Amino acid sequence: MAEGRPGTVRGGMVEDALADRRLDEEDHTRARVYGLLARYLAAPPDADLLQLTRGLGESGTPFGRALAELAARAAEASVESAREEYHELFIGLGRGELLPYASYYLTGFLYERPLAELRDDLRTLGIARVEQNKEPEDHIATLCEIMAGLIEGRYGDGTLDLQRRFFARHLEPWAGRFFTDLERAKAARLYAPLGSVGRLFVDIERAAFAMAD
Amino acid sequence: MQREERRSGQGRRGFLKLAGLGAVVGTVAAATGTKPAQALAAEGDRGAGYRLTEHVKKAYALARF
Repeated sequence: MAEGRPGTVRGGMVEDALADRRLDEEDHTRARVYGLLARYLAAPPDADLLQLTRGLGESGTPFGRALAELAARAAEASVESAREEYHELFIGLGRGELLPYASYYLTGFLYERPLAELRDDLRTLGIARVEQNKEPEDHIATLCEIMAGLIEGRYGDGTLDLQRRFFARHLEPWAGRFFTDLERAKAARLYAPLGSVGRLFVDIERAAFAMAD
Repeated sequence: MQREERRSGQGRRGFLKLAGLGAVVGTVAAATGTKPAQALAAEGDRGAGYRLTEHVKKAYALARF
């Protein structure tokens, strides 16, 4: 599974990390949504991820409907079709259709100041990149995985304020635009509604962070 | 002060719930939990070497030097 790739979010239950920390249902869900985004963006979905995706969504909200659309596309997709789509979107020959990096969206180039600023914050948080992972850390999957960890208290002090600051600094300036690009990408089929989910979720996060704790 | 905080908390949580972040993604909760301390951790993967090379090549092609 997801090794040597950005985010490297693994499936499985969070146990010890939450043993002495009870999350509100909504924060629990937020962490899981970041986790879902991270899994899809770090690597093509495996059969397990496609299967669980098929059960998502509801009709009562735009966000729920976006999840339901993702579920419908996941029902149509295969591991192979998803792998090809992921490759066209993010890998390609030299580059994919999209470059999901903060530096690229904010400066037009990779390995720029947004990455340097992120590395400063990761150092402060004590999050280290294992040597084998050559991906720059400002990949959208990695940022989503970090947000999940911040919410769950696996990184940092678990406070909403830390989540808010990290989101404002490293996601809010560009993630909405990336997810919109993903929604509209030529090669996107399964990943188009994932873009919708991401876009709507970023909007929800931004609005929610603006509210008092 | 306590009452204010509770009200505000409900405001934000209420907003999230209304936006669709309540129990609707319960299935997500069951299957996308992350392993503690795994972010950015790279483990052995047969395919990773090839893909990492592509990423690195792409990064050098696009980085400004």
